[in-house]
Amino acid sequence: MTTISERAKDLVKVDKRDGKLALAHVYVAFIALAIGGLCGLLQTLVRSGTFTLPWGIGYYQLLTIHGVLLGLILTTYFIFGFQIAAVSRTAGTLTDKQRLYGWIGFWIMTIGTTASSIMILINEASVLYTFYAPLQAHWIFYAGLALVIVGSWIGGAGLISKYVEWRKANPGQPSPLLTFMVVVNLSMWIICSLGVAVEVLFQLLPWSLGWVDKVDVLLSRTLFWYFGHPLVYFWLLPAYMVWYAVIPKIIGGKIFSDSLARLSFILFLLFSIPVGFHHQLTEPGISSFWKFLQVVLTLMVVIPSLLTAFSLFATFEIRGRALGGKGVFGWFKQLPWGDARFVAPFIGMVAFIPAGAGGIINASHQMNQLIHNTIWVTGHFHLTVATTVVLTFFGAAYWLIPHLTGRVLTKQMNRLAIIQAIVWAVGMSIMSGAMHIVGLSGAPRRSDFSTYGGSTQAAEWIPYQVAQAIGGTILFIGIVLIIYIVVNLLWFAPKGETEFPVAEVSEHAEKTPMVLENWKIWLTICIALILFAYTVPVIEIIQNAPPGSKGYKLW
Amino acid sequence: MSKKREKEPDLKGTLYSVGFLGAFILITWFMAFYLFIDRF
Repeated sequence: MTTISERAKDLVKVDKRDGKLALAHVYVAFIALAIGGLCGLLQTLVRSGTFTLPWGIGYYQLLTIHGVLLGLILTTYFIFGFQIAAVSRTAGTLTDKQRLYGWIGFWIMTIGTTASSIMILINEASVLYTFYAPLQAHWIFYAGLALVIVGSWIGGAGLISKYVEWRKANPGQPSPLLTFMVVVNLSMWIICSLGVAVEVLFQLLPWSLGWVDKVDVLLSRTLFWYFGHPLVYFWLLPAYMVWYAVIPKIIGGKIFSDSLARLSFILFLLFSIPVGFHHQLTEPGISSFWKFLQVVLTLMVVIPSLLTAFSLFATFEIRGRALGGKGVFGWFKQLPWGDARFVAPFIGMVAFIPAGAGGIINASHQMNQLIHNTIWVTGHFHLTVATTVVLTFFGAAYWLIPHLTGRVLTKQMNRLAIIQAIVWAVGMSIMSGAMHIVGLSGAPRRSDFSTYGGSTQAAEWIPYQVAQAIGGTILFIGIVLIIYIVVNLLWFAPKGETEFPVAEVSEHAEKTPMVLENWKIWLTICIALILFAYTVPVIEIIQNAPPGSKGYKLW
Repeated sequence: MSKKREKEPDLKGTLYSVGFLGAFILITWFMAFYLFIDRF
């Protein structure tokens, strides 16, 4: 039974001034989704061999816009918007200074995004999403991305400062779970983005400005992937925040265990960073011992992933049984299948099963040769980020946006949102499924349509490329639907109160041990693991550096 | 938080579900491993 005090907690609103800051981030995120999504559709059409781009637009230009806008901008902005609202909701309204940090961060990020986007649009930076040297973009592209990172540090500092303030005001108490999770995610982000900041400031910018002629390609890739793998966890952890702390409330249940949730986030902090070599398993110049070591550390991530799976199944089962579900799986039917706030993230969770299995294959050292640089990898991250993460974000948008705008999700919009999630699942199954299969037959990623001089093997890939275009077209319908719903929630939905759902911890759960919040221990282990995994190989990379490369503009 | 434990929740479905998950991961991994051994 819900008590009056619990009901009062449910109605806690994010302060309007904090809400405005969070919404500013959400606007940019969905603008990026609309433009980046259109580019994705065009890419799949080009690769089907049935469509030629007009007005001299290049395939690789589209690929760069798609990757940067969706992989970096949509995700980072939505995550910051969500995290600002989550901290404000659970640790209290931001102070004026903390909010100012948020706004300074937002504008620096937005100036950077605009600068980089213009460079891609005028075809000065078609260096793909990974901006790998020796492909060389205009220096403004790199400077813009550096601003996005610096802006995120400043915005993040405001939120961390709120956490520190809360801990000082509540000594000996575990912090609110969502705020704790936000701080773990920000710590990981700040530690990992130092790598790409070093790459941009000390390698790519001087090189693209012409101050130096050559760049050490291996070092630049190593710094990129030091950042690039934790980046995928930076996308994923906010989805986990929704799964652990919000979804139990939406289904009417409780958090299975606060300690387990915190432990799994700490393990992600420890094992997400010292693992970048698993993206460089076929790279010459890194000894196989260090690759092997990072593969072992990579596979450690399986532990918090399975902890999460167990915790979620348990939350669902306990709730389903409380509602009268019988037998081994009777509880499954009792879950709220008519609520888009649950259905969209749930489909995301299901997608994470093949996504995780594929990830383990990718990271399995020598087996990486099977899929390296094939479109299997593209299929893989379209399951992880573009389904698991994105559908969870869509599910979160259905309560976050109306909560912040003082509106409600109507029954019609809820129904449309469920249709949107199903459309997304169908489109992605076709597109990502085709990418996985044809990737195993050797079809390359990051490649324009080509018959490869009439090769028989390449001809066999074409039906799968057509399937990708069909899946891509269905996904684009999904993008139109989500944009329609978001526009409705921002400006047209009926006025009213929408809850920001935050679940309570189950009464069966043990008391949370404070050691989980001892940052001295966890940050020390985190940095020790990074130094252990990277110091010797980076010294070797620098000492035995290959001849530097001049820049190439191949587009 | 109460230390009292009335009854452990029934988590049989959870056990089967995580078992399925583990089996799925192993099966897909061995399928890829088979391809790898076959090709390299």
